[in-house]
Amino acid sequence: MTYALIRADGLDLRAFAAAAGLHPELVRRLVALGVLDASCDCSGDFWFAPGQLAVVARIQRLRAGLGLNYASIGLVLDLLDRIAALEAALRQARRSGG
Amino acid sequence: MAGDRDFYQILGVPREASQDDIQRAYRRLARTHHPDVNSDPAAEERFKDISEAYDVLSDPQTRRRYDAFGPDFRQVPEDVDPETWRRAQAGARATAGAGGRAGGGGFGFGTGDEIDIDDLLGGLFGGRAGRAGRDRAGRGWGPVPGADQTAEIEISIEEAYHGARRTVSLASPEGTRNLQVSIPAGVTDGQRIRLSGQGGRGGDGARPGDLYLLIRIAPHRNYRLEGRDLHADLRLTPWEAALGTSVALPTPGGEAKVKVPPGTSCGRRLRLRGRGLPNPRGKPGDLLAEAKIVVPAKLSEAERKLFEQLAATSEFDPRRGR
Repeated sequence: MTYALIRADGLDLRAFAAAAGLHPELVRRLVALGVLDASCDCSGDFWFAPGQLAVVARIQRLRAGLGLNYASIGLVLDLLDRIAALEAALRQARRSGG
Repeated sequence: MAGDRDFYQILGVPREASQDDIQRAYRRLARTHHPDVNSDPAAEERFKDISEAYDVLSDPQTRRRYDAFGPDFRQVPEDVDPETWRRAQAGARATAGAGGRAGGGGFGFGTGDEIDIDDLLGGLFGGRAGRAGRDRAGRGWGPVPGADQTAEIEISIEEAYHGARRTVSLASPEGTRNLQVSIPAGVTDGQRIRLSGQGGRGGDGARPGDLYLLIRIAPHRNYRLEGRDLHADLRLTPWEAALGTSVALPTPGGEAKVKVPPGTSCGRRLRLRGRGLPNPRGKPGDLLAEAKIVVPAKLSEAERKLFEQLAATSEFDPRRGR
C-alpha cells in the first residue's frame, strides 16, 4: 500500500466537481482542453487550487453569455488575466506615487 | 428585466432587421457588456436586458409573437389572433382605466429544464454559438456563480485621513441597490476595498460575485497627494524666509507648527514626519511643506523705504557664481 507523504493542497476531482456543480468528467475535459489548471499527484489524480472555482464560473459565464468555444475561452481567460495584472500594476504604481 | 423597453431598441436594430443583423447587434453589445469583460455593476443589468431581447428576437417564432402582441406576448395563448387580442386589450383598457398588466412570470420561451448527459458532455469540442449554444450551455452547466464587479468611489483627502461611512448606489437587475460602506482610515488612491458577495448575481441561487470599490481621492485645494505623502504650499513673506519663523499650517489631522529656518529660499521643502495619511500597516506618510515666498503687490511708503535701504546695504546677488 502506498501512502502520500505530503497531503496535497486543494480539492480533488470529485470535491472540485461537487463544489462547481459539474460532472467530474466535464471537469476532466476542461483540464484536457487547457482552460482549467490542475496539478497531478503521483497516482495520477487531479488536484485543484480553490481559486480554480472562480475560473470555472468565468468559463460558464463566457460560454453561456457569448457562446464562445473552448479554444476562444482559453484565449479570453489569458487576456482577462493579463488585463487584471496590468490594472493591478497600474494601481500599485499610482499608490506608490509613481 | 427589460421591463417595458422595446427589445429592438435595446439591441439598437430597426423592426425590420434581419436575423443576421440581430445576431450581429447582440454579439457586439454582449462583448461590451458581458460581466467578465465589463466590471461596472450597471453592465450586468444591461447585459441581462440584451440577453433577454436577443432570446426573444433570435427565435423567428417568438419574434413573430413579440411583433404581434408586444411586451405581453408571453401571456397570450398560442392560438389567439393578434387583431382579436388588440381589440380585447383596447376594450379592457377602456373599462378599467389604465390597463394594468397581469402578473408576470408565465412560461419561459426556452425549452424544458431537464438535464441531458449528452448536453452536459456533448459538443465540448465544437464551436457552438448563438441562442442554441447559450441555452444548451446554460442547461448543462447548472447554477453559474456571479461575476466580480468594480465600482469607483471618490473621497476627499480628509475622508482618507479619518476614515468615513458612505452610501454607494449601484445599478443592478433588481433596481438600484444602496450599500453602506465603511472606508478605513489611511486608504490610498487606487486602493480596492472588497465587499464579499455584493457583486454580480449568480444564476439559479448560485453564490454572487464580490464587489471591489476602487478608491479615488479627489484633488484638493490645499494639498497634493503622492502615495501617503501630502504636499502643501507654505506661503512666506520675504522677511519670514530670511529671518526664520514658526508658521501654523492646516493639515487633515489638525493644525501643525512648521519651523522655518532662517535663510529659507523658495522651493525648499520642510518635512513634517508622520503628518501625511495614516498607514494601518506601518509608517504613516509625511507632510512636505514647500516654501513659496510671496511679495506684496503694492508696497507702502515705509516698506518701500526699508526695501530700498536693504537693496543699498545688501551685497547678496543670487545670480552671482551660477
